[in-house]
Amino acid sequence: MAKFKGAIVVDTEKCKGCGLCVVSCPTAVIELARGVNGKGYHYAHMANPDACIGCSSCGLVCPDTVITVYRAKAS
Amino acid sequence: MGDVRLMKGNEVIAEAAIRCGCDGYFGYPITPQSEIMETLMIRRPENETGMVVLQAESEVAAINMVYGGASCGKKVMTSSSSPGISLKAEGITYLAGAELPALIVNIVRGGPGLGTIQPAQSDYFQAVKGGGHGDYKLIVLAPASVQEMNDFVDLGFELSFKYLNPAMILSDGVIGQMMEKVELSDYKPRWTDEEIEKISGSWATNGKKAGSERNISTSLDLDSAKQEVFNHKLQAKYRAMEENDVRFEKIACDDADYLFVAYGSSARICQKSVELAREKGIKVGLLRPITLFPYPTKQIQEMLGQVKGILSVEMSAGQMVEDVRLAVEGKVPVEHFGRYGGIIPTPEEVVEALEEKILGK
Repeated sequence: MAKFKGAIVVDTEKCKGCGLCVVSCPTAVIELARGVNGKGYHYAHMANPDACIGCSSCGLVCPDTVITVYRAKAS
Repeated sequence: MGDVRLMKGNEVIAEAAIRCGCDGYFGYPITPQSEIMETLMIRRPENETGMVVLQAESEVAAINMVYGGASCGKKVMTSSSSPGISLKAEGITYLAGAELPALIVNIVRGGPGLGTIQPAQSDYFQAVKGGGHGDYKLIVLAPASVQEMNDFVDLGFELSFKYLNPAMILSDGVIGQMMEKVELSDYKPRWTDEEIEKISGSWATNGKKAGSERNISTSLDLDSAKQEVFNHKLQAKYRAMEENDVRFEKIACDDADYLFVAYGSSARICQKSVELAREKGIKVGLLRPITLFPYPTKQIQEMLGQVKGILSVEMSAGQMVEDVRLAVEGKVPVEHFGRYGGIIPTPEEVVEALEEKILGK
């Protein structure tokens, strides 16, 4: 089976720090940042980008659709 | 000359908050005041002064966050519009009952209920007579210009800390949305922990010191005898506010035969109406209350020997007119003119109302 390499882009100003993506990520890529966005919320970000496989569980579970998932076949 | 800009009223509230050393803003969006929080979000004051900006999950959460911040001696504030202020009512009376300083901004919209987003002045009763329960009063400041939106944030905090009582800026959708020239206040640094200890250490829950009693922030006292004494204390506070901190403006009153009494955007409209009426030979003046509590009762009474009738102008079904009537005690005719539901009267309409209701034409 092919290996995939993934990456996510989070709209940090829209993210409300609910943490559902953190829980749903199978490879522990995502954490809530130390910093806050304009509304005072700790937004999600890739703490371990190398572990991302682009499964898009985070994008699926996000209630505000702030995550965009990119996936490429690792060569 | 300070920082002079052309800005929107709501944006100025945000800018003034940052500049007066505000420690925290806890808010929730609602038209027509969302720009207050949006401006704070764009300015990111946590990077500049360390001021916290947080969008709470509701207006109720926001006012309770204000309670928390205020009990630690911090300069904290919230803002909303009519239905949102109703949501905050309980929190507001708790602030008054716990003797905590805080600033609440109400950019009034048409009601009742969800109402409309256009401007109104139908929250006078809620602000001045108490939207929440119990014998309490808010210090209520009514800006009539974008400049006053700037000036009243610092003034609101100053009065609030002077009396240890929450203060409200009662504005409306016209002033919140309009753009005018404003000279922004100079920056005041946020209070350090030492300064807070000096100013509020006797009551604030900012850490128990060795050898002192712990401070408790509460509005509860189940001992009725004590609660009555406490209410006397609050009443004494409100009498002191009435004695010392009434603010108002008089325009063309020296030779006036008739008087408009109006605040906020109604006062701006009445300024034009004074001109138009005088062109017609009607000598009318304008008394503009700046503090709605404490109300310029004395200033109205001082004019009773001079004027033959008073028209209270307010974008409501008649709220402030009751306080005018209380001041006048039947000595001269008092009538109310207002438009409701978000409609703004024209200066010509106000003059017509003066002619019909007071001059009897």
